[in-house]
Amino acid sequence: MSRPDFADEDSGKKIIMLGNEAIARGILEAGVVIGAGYPGTPSSEILPTLAEMQKFFPHLKLEWSVNEKVGFEVAYGGSMSNVRSVAVMKHVGVNVASDAFMTACYAGARGGMVLISADDPNCYSSQNEQDNRYFGLHALVPVFEPSTPQEAKDMIKYAFDFSEEYQSLVLFRTTTRLNHGRGDVILGDVNILNRDYGFDWDRSRWVCLPSHSRVLRMRLLERLDDISNFADDFPFNSLQLSGERVNGVRYGFVAAGVPYSQLLDALNFYGISKKVSILKLGLVYPPPKELIKELFKSSDEIVVIEELEPFLENILKQIAYEEGLSKEIIIHGKDIFPQNGEFSGEIYLENIARLMGFSYKKVPVPDEMMIIPPRLPILCPGCGHRATFYAIKQVEKKMKTKFVNSSDIGCYTLAVYKPLEGIDTEVCMGGSIGLANGISKVQSEKNPVLAILGDSTFFHSGIPALINAVFNKNNMLVVILDNRSTSMTGFQDNPGTGITITNEPGIRIILEDLVKGCGISPENIWVEDSNDLNKTVEKLEEAVKAEGVRVFISRHLCSLVESNQFRAQHIIPPTIEVDHEKCIGCLICVNKFGCQALNFNEDIKKVSIEQLICRGCKVCIDVCPQNAIYEVDS
Amino acid sequence: MEIKSYNLLNVGVGGQGVIRATQILSYAALLEDYKVRTAETHGMAQRGGSVASYLRFGTEVEGPLIPRGKTNTILAFEASEAVRIFNYAGPKTVFLINERIIIPPMIHQMGMDYPNLREIRDFLKHVSTNIFFLDGVKIATDLGNPRTMNIVMLGALIGLDVLPLKKETLEKAILSNLPEKLHEINREALKFGIENGMKLRRNNNE
Repeated sequence: MSRPDFADEDSGKKIIMLGNEAIARGILEAGVVIGAGYPGTPSSEILPTLAEMQKFFPHLKLEWSVNEKVGFEVAYGGSMSNVRSVAVMKHVGVNVASDAFMTACYAGARGGMVLISADDPNCYSSQNEQDNRYFGLHALVPVFEPSTPQEAKDMIKYAFDFSEEYQSLVLFRTTTRLNHGRGDVILGDVNILNRDYGFDWDRSRWVCLPSHSRVLRMRLLERLDDISNFADDFPFNSLQLSGERVNGVRYGFVAAGVPYSQLLDALNFYGISKKVSILKLGLVYPPPKELIKELFKSSDEIVVIEELEPFLENILKQIAYEEGLSKEIIIHGKDIFPQNGEFSGEIYLENIARLMGFSYKKVPVPDEMMIIPPRLPILCPGCGHRATFYAIKQVEKKMKTKFVNSSDIGCYTLAVYKPLEGIDTEVCMGGSIGLANGISKVQSEKNPVLAILGDSTFFHSGIPALINAVFNKNNMLVVILDNRSTSMTGFQDNPGTGITITNEPGIRIILEDLVKGCGISPENIWVEDSNDLNKTVEKLEEAVKAEGVRVFISRHLCSLVESNQFRAQHIIPPTIEVDHEKCIGCLICVNKFGCQALNFNEDIKKVSIEQLICRGCKVCIDVCPQNAIYEVDS
Repeated sequence: MEIKSYNLLNVGVGGQGVIRATQILSYAALLEDYKVRTAETHGMAQRGGSVASYLRFGTEVEGPLIPRGKTNTILAFEASEAVRIFNYAGPKTVFLINERIIIPPMIHQMGMDYPNLREIRDFLKHVSTNIFFLDGVKIATDLGNPRTMNIVMLGALIGLDVLPLKKETLEKAILSNLPEKLHEINREALKFGIENGMKLRRNNNE
């Protein structure tokens, strides 16, 4: 077993690490034992990196939990038992975990406890770009934010010491460019803590009923006060005071995270990095008041550079008001920098130039522009989801109606695009069934309501909504796209595969038994192979027409996972060809089904199969009305 | 020669090895003791979408993102992707472009046209004077493995003398992440890439 660099025991070695690998390394170095969470871009590589480390550091106890709330609770149970624990999730996952998080912050940490929230400005892989620094403000716990992979490693290691010292949870906030950016990192020592692990029977602390919570809240406020008093000495905060003037003005900049690094580049670009004051924050909440006051003293104008909401800007304005400086000092923020999206490199250069009176030349745009049509992500060749959505369309056509396709978060969300246009809603994990509960209450008979979601999403939060539908007779057809993988985030296993994060056998949950247990009667459950198109169309029509709450499990292993398995087992998938005698160039396969292996040749007006792309799923054979597509005898 | 800051943008389509190429370059830069920063497209990368990786190294780099117009080198594994990000280039930016166009499947369904190689060449002439095209897939296929296209392209950067890293460090970085049985073909791919890059440079100077 070759040992990856990130699992090295030696400190002092300098290696290249992805931000998420650096975070995992910091967690390992801190002596953490329990790590749990749910996959979600851009957080997904943290726990799998720890799982790789676990081969060499068997004290690590890791899991993919069924959802973020459970993942948080797993970690918090560890903290209650005096174990250093980490919960890992993307920003919207914190919404799911927040029920536990908001009250856990009252009882605080025993073993060091960190919640990692990976935010996604610009929605690279998310349904919103919420700013989770507010969760710290909301829950009254400190928020740490690193600006480079090296700092991420060092800061999260420190976060566990901090958490134990203050008995406070720590919210560790990152953004996509930190998680999915590489940098040079010097490794530190790996600590393995030999302490007595075990539960602490302090009911006054762990039982958060009203009489206890009133007391716990007082302690929470005291802790926040203590942390506020320490904020000026926080080791990852720093203040550079200049006092020099640039074009007659003393400028003071405030930034944290990736924007801090980008700001330094921009200041270097204009050669003014030593001529301005800079407050760099590693602790973005609570604020270091003395440092901020010093910055105020040596600046005429403050520029707060932060993506998304005016979080630090508002804090600074409040402090300026309290200091009676609100008239004297100008605080810039969202008046200069946008409140939406990620800041690209030139946004810093342009806006700083405009503010400080430098000239910034934009790149000249050629007179004749060339427009490249978008290259949107699409479902893979051989993907069972494509076949299922195509089947749904066929049933719709046969029944001469339009379905309401309430859907969810996963690869299948890509079915919104042409040619499938197979989903009508997507809001949050498990939302497909939840929304369908409401839609079905008022939807006329002629528009059947479907709730379409993946296997992992169903386990995550579809189950309560399904029970709700059965209980309240909110009739619908639930289609579970069971591809045995959490594919969009990187093919993680889930309860349906029964394989744990460290690649060991767990207990597999059988979907058909589970839905039966939710109250679906056996005659209302169908299980079909997604890629058997004709059968799926036939059975799906039956399911749409049946009464009550029905569940149709459309099952086929994720085609990327399947093709990797084929390669490993030296299995050669079937070869598919088009008979050009029979192909009439009707383009149904290209324009309605839309697998990328189907290629239309303009010259001969016929379709052919791109063999390098085709995975041999054979669905297009059933799609072709001319029977022109066939499997080549091997 | 010590580099203060070198900015490279590597673009392509999910599955072409963009992230791998960035990983190799960042390791090579580390071996030459530079500060390194990258920003990459993950998650959807394998779903056939556009992929862009930023790589910055030198003694004076802080953040991972490259401002528009400030890119030293644009390495495109797919030709139309070079056009998509053309405004990251300035008039002196070097483009090395794989002569390969992958037409997104949705183009047909939307009834749109997609530009061809000639149109792409003509357009990019207005962006920079340093544009080089190479049939990386053909070179890699002739060598016996089309998947080594990304290594051929990295080699061509060395041959063109636009990547301020040593050939030896690049080779070490390439091999360090690969199983022994793939070393020979990747060494070859690097060598052929370098030769082809030198050829491009010679033709350009003539």
